[in-house]
Amino acid sequence: MPSLKDIKTQINSVGSTKKITSAMKMVAASKLRRSQEKAEAARPYSSRLEEMLSSLASSAASGEGIIKLLTGTGNDQNYVVVPVSADRGLCGGFNSSINRETFKLVKSLEGNGKKVQLMPVGKKSRDFFNRVMKDQIIESFVDLNVSSTGYESALNISNQLQELYFDGKFDKCILVFNKFKSAISQEVTQQQLIPLDVSNSEKEEEKENSSNAIYDYEPDEETILKDLLPKNVSIQIFKVLLESDAGEQGARMAAMDNATRNAGEMIDSLTLKYNRTRQAFITKELIEIISGAESI
Amino acid sequence: MATISFDLVSPENLVFNDEVGTIIVPGKDGDLGILPGHSKVMSSLRPGRVMVYSEDKNLIKSFFVSGGFAEINPEKCIVLAESVVEVNSLEKTSIEKEIQELENKEGKESEEQLSVAKAKLEAINVNYYDKI
Repeated sequence: MPSLKDIKTQINSVGSTKKITSAMKMVAASKLRRSQEKAEAARPYSSRLEEMLSSLASSAASGEGIIKLLTGTGNDQNYVVVPVSADRGLCGGFNSSINRETFKLVKSLEGNGKKVQLMPVGKKSRDFFNRVMKDQIIESFVDLNVSSTGYESALNISNQLQELYFDGKFDKCILVFNKFKSAISQEVTQQQLIPLDVSNSEKEEEKENSSNAIYDYEPDEETILKDLLPKNVSIQIFKVLLESDAGEQGARMAAMDNATRNAGEMIDSLTLKYNRTRQAFITKELIEIISGAESI
Repeated sequence: MATISFDLVSPENLVFNDEVGTIIVPGKDGDLGILPGHSKVMSSLRPGRVMVYSEDKNLIKSFFVSGGFAEINPEKCIVLAESVVEVNSLEKTSIEKEIQELENKEGKESEEQLSVAKAKLEAINVNYYDKI
C-alpha cells in the first residue's frame, strides 16, 4: 500500500503536468488564430493565380522548357514525395499520420516499379524517414517557421524542386500534408505538384468561360505562362505550408485539451485514493489505541 | 469621373484594395496606364513602380514590386506581386550596399536579385509619373 506521502507527490506531479498542458493549449490556441489569419491572407493571391493559370493552360502546346511544369516530362518513372510535417511533437496524431500515409504511398509506388525519392519537410518526418529509408532522402527542410519567415521559406523549397526537375531527376512530385479542415480536424491529403494538375481549375474555367475568353496578353501567352508556372509551384508550396502550420496548431490544441482533461481526472481519482488511505490510517490507529486501552 | 477598383496582392496579404482613378503598372514591354474602362489585358510585370492615383489625378501611393502579373478588365485591376514595398519606405543606403554585395557574387540567382535591387534604386531616384 502506497504511503500518504507517495500519493501526495503523485498528485503534485500530475498537477504540474496539467498546468503545463493547459498552458500549451492556450499557446496553441493563440498561434492557431494567427496561422489561420495568415492562411486566409494568402488565399486571394493563390486563387487569383490559379484563375490566371487555368485561362492560360490551354495555350500550352509543346512540352519544352518551363512549360514542362504543366505538361510533364512524358514519363512517370521517377517520383519525388514531399511529406510536410511539424518540427515539434506533442500534437496528437498529426505527424505520425503524415509519416504513415507517406510510407504507404512510397511502398505502393515502389510496388508498381517506380523509383521514389523523398524530400521531407519538418523535423518529425525527416527523423522518421532517416530511420526507415535513409538512402532515398535527397534533401530535407527543417525549422522553416513559415508563420514568421513567410514566403521565403516556400521559395526555397520550390527552387530546389524545380532545379531537380529541370535536371531531369524526377518526373512527378507529390505533396503529402495535413489539410486544415477545422480547428479540431485535419485531413491527410495528397497533392500532385509537378506536373501541375489543372483538372480542378478547368471546371472553374468552364463556369467563367465567357469572362476569360477575350483577354489580350502582353507580351504573349507563352511568356506569361513561363513566368506564371514557377510562381505557381512556389505559391502552392506556400499554401500547403500555411495549411499544415495551422493544422499543427489545431492538432496541438486538441491534444493538449485532452491531456489537460485526463490530468484533471487523474487528480480527482488520486485525491479520492489519498482520502481513503488517510481514513484507513486513522481507523487503524484508533483500533490500536482502543485495543491498547482495553488490554490494561 | 468613374473609378476602377484596384487590388494589389502579395503572397502574404492583400496590400491595397480600393476604388481609384488611375493606376500605372510596369508591364514587361513598357508601362501601362490604366483608366476605368480599360480593355481586358493580362500582362506580366518587370520590377518597378506601381503608382496609384485618385480620381483627380493626385498620387495616392506608389509601391515597388519585384515583378508579377496584372489582370485588367474594365471594372477591375488586379496586380499579383511577389514582393511589395512602399517606395517611401525603401532606404537608399541599404539598397546601394545590397547592390555592391550582389555585384561581387556570381550565379543566376544573384543576377536576378541584382536587377531587382537596381530597379529599386531607380524607383527611389526617379520622379516621373509623380504628376500626371
